[in-house]
Amino acid sequence: MCKLQVIQACLLCLLRGSVALPLNCADESSSPVPCTSISQDKLLDRVTQHAEFIYRITEEVCNQYEELYIPYPLRGLKNQGGGTCTSMSFPNLGSKTEIQQISDMRLLHYMLILAQSWVEPLTYLQSSLKNNDHAPDTLVSQLKWVSDKLTRLEQGVVLLISMMQEEGGAAPPPAALQQALSEPQLGVPDSIFHEYNSLMCLKKDAHKMETLLKLLKCRQTDRLSCTL
Amino acid sequence: ATMWTDSVMLAGLTLTAIFVSHTAGVSAPGRPRLTGCRSPEKETFTCWWEPGDDGGLPTTYALYYHLEGSETVYECPDYRTAGKNSCFFSKNNTSLWVNYNISVVATNAMGSSVSEPVDVDVVYIVQPNTPEDVRVLVVDDDPGPYLHVSWEKPLAADTQSGWITLVYQLRVKETSQDTWEEYNAGMQKGYNIFSLLSGREYAVQVRCKPDHGFWSEWTSPAYVQIPDYMLREHSMWIIVAVFAGFLLFVLTWTVNVKRSSVKHCLLPPVPGPKIRGFDPHLLKSGRSEEMFSALVTQHFPPTSSYDDLLVEYLEVYDVEKQELVLGVKNEDPLAPTRTSDNDSGRGSCDSRTLLTERYAEDGDKGGADRQLGQCVAELASPPLEEEKVEAWSTPFSPPPLHLQRQQVGGARAAYHSVLEIPCDSPCAPGSYGHQGESDISKPGGRGASTTLAEPQAQSAEYVEVQTVDHENVLLLRPLADPGGPDVDYAGEDYSKIRDVIPDNVLLLQREPSAWPCAADPGQDRGERSCPTALQELMQPCKPPGPLQQGLRLVANGYVDASAMLC
Repeated sequence: MCKLQVIQACLLCLLRGSVALPLNCADESSSPVPCTSISQDKLLDRVTQHAEFIYRITEEVCNQYEELYIPYPLRGLKNQGGGTCTSMSFPNLGSKTEIQQISDMRLLHYMLILAQSWVEPLTYLQSSLKNNDHAPDTLVSQLKWVSDKLTRLEQGVVLLISMMQEEGGAAPPPAALQQALSEPQLGVPDSIFHEYNSLMCLKKDAHKMETLLKLLKCRQTDRLSCTL
Repeated sequence: ATMWTDSVMLAGLTLTAIFVSHTAGVSAPGRPRLTGCRSPEKETFTCWWEPGDDGGLPTTYALYYHLEGSETVYECPDYRTAGKNSCFFSKNNTSLWVNYNISVVATNAMGSSVSEPVDVDVVYIVQPNTPEDVRVLVVDDDPGPYLHVSWEKPLAADTQSGWITLVYQLRVKETSQDTWEEYNAGMQKGYNIFSLLSGREYAVQVRCKPDHGFWSEWTSPAYVQIPDYMLREHSMWIIVAVFAGFLLFVLTWTVNVKRSSVKHCLLPPVPGPKIRGFDPHLLKSGRSEEMFSALVTQHFPPTSSYDDLLVEYLEVYDVEKQELVLGVKNEDPLAPTRTSDNDSGRGSCDSRTLLTERYAEDGDKGGADRQLGQCVAELASPPLEEEKVEAWSTPFSPPPLHLQRQQVGGARAAYHSVLEIPCDSPCAPGSYGHQGESDISKPGGRGASTTLAEPQAQSAEYVEVQTVDHENVLLLRPLADPGGPDVDYAGEDYSKIRDVIPDNVLLLQREPSAWPCAADPGQDRGERSCPTALQELMQPCKPPGPLQQGLRLVANGYVDASAMLC
């Protein structure tokens, strides 16, 4: 755990520097910072790093929350009030074999939707924690950080999609994907379990994104970490 | 009645059954417990449970699960693959990012019991298998050998597609020690270990971990023996040490051989006292007499007694007459300042002062008289610069006449003027002895006889200096007959001048008593020196006894011819 925290800190430092550059170089007028074009591999690396960081921070937030509010027997138990984080109806991403059958573009789209779906709940979560006055400030600030990084990740994924679309990848209609995702059932709003379930779902989705991106990275490039 | 009998019989049987069962110890099984679930490759997973009390009856266990968000309960598909009390979920039965709610039910004849449910998400329980094919190689290298450890990934883990990312760790220890040295190898499958001790046996183990998950078990240890080797640095230091030791030995031997010169160089000997003639060896030998005798030179230390320093001849004049005659007494710049001149070391003594003293005090003072014998040669020449040169240059030639005459008016040594004194009656034979300088007295003689010179030759008297006491006082006694042979001297003699021949030659009259003086007028050193010719002129002087007898011609620079010419 100590080692993880060190790596996490290093990654945070890296990301804070690395995410300063705007990802979308096409829109030059929007930002005063000069846009530098980035290669697809590097962009994929950056996005993957974002996902790793998001997962680590979210895991830490969950653990803190558990220790503060959740009695031990109930830990790990989700959905006290029933419901799932995301619908299973979307192309089944439950197993490796299933995922390996999905194309890169679809994966990217999925991740985009996933990232977009969390923007609003995160805002809600932060306000909920602030309003209740029971969460320490570190939790709130970390959630804020996660929210920011998620936004950047989303931007990166958008850029990747555009890059890959130029290569000739077929894009599924976004509307269909949007409908596939059901509203997560998190329980009674403004309750402890609601927040806890929300955090747990966030953590899971972050892990999912990280795994998918790593898979995507190995597919796209010939990397030593994949071949060995 | 039959119904009542049947019910009673049934109750009785039930009670008997219960009783029998209780006495036999059988009961419903205790609650089993799920000990854990693990997924080795994030594709399948296995759950294990611990059975509770079986209640004495054969008990069966069944695992049931349902996915979150679904009420459908499934039973474990595979109880065998993973062993006893386990349930193995194959790939088809594994869904990721979904919670499994698992529970185990134990059933026996008496009943069943359900374990506590456990929520499991497969992605969070990944623990890979141990790495495969661990190999350890000893690689010979400079400066010493090192270990190269290599391994393979666990069989089931799919790292190639990026599905799972593994990091590795290895540890090493010497077989005789207890502590392990751990190294992180990252995602690579090889590692080099350096700085291992020669001749020891080491054990190596490897394990791995996914990016989010648990560490695997350690592999079984691989043993390796490090061969014996000598570190190059050690052999170099050994050579250096041997060489330094050799150098040190050579240096020590050299210093030992030359220790005296080294000691002389480092600690120079302190020079001891150097006294001429002083032989420290004699001192060491303890013969002090020899040593001290070596110190004795001709001139030091004086071994003669005071008597030797006595003035032998002293002409004493009456003070008033001397003043008239001299007239220079008071003009002598040096005279008044040296009324008591007891400087016995001055060879070139101030004859002026001596004479002055003597004249002033009738010869009572004689402190400087000791010197007179030595001074004789010098007395003849006054401390006039021009005269000095001439006088000293020809110590044995008679001084020019003019010199003497010039001195008349000079305020110089009293004796110069005294030289003129005998103009009155210097020429009388036999009376020359009366004339002359009172200063022309010779020290060292034993028993000095003084001639009392007066302006009148006949008025001259001879006194004898008996002793010189410690206060430089002459003790005189008059002589009854200065020229008579019956004069009571102890071994003294003086000669009378019989005649003066034209060539400024004195003819001395031989006297029976010999004067212990040196024959050579120039030989005036020491206390026994004879008066010069001048002195002899003035005072009857005889050469030493055994020596020249008879007349002695004295042709000496100190001869005062003027006196003759008078």
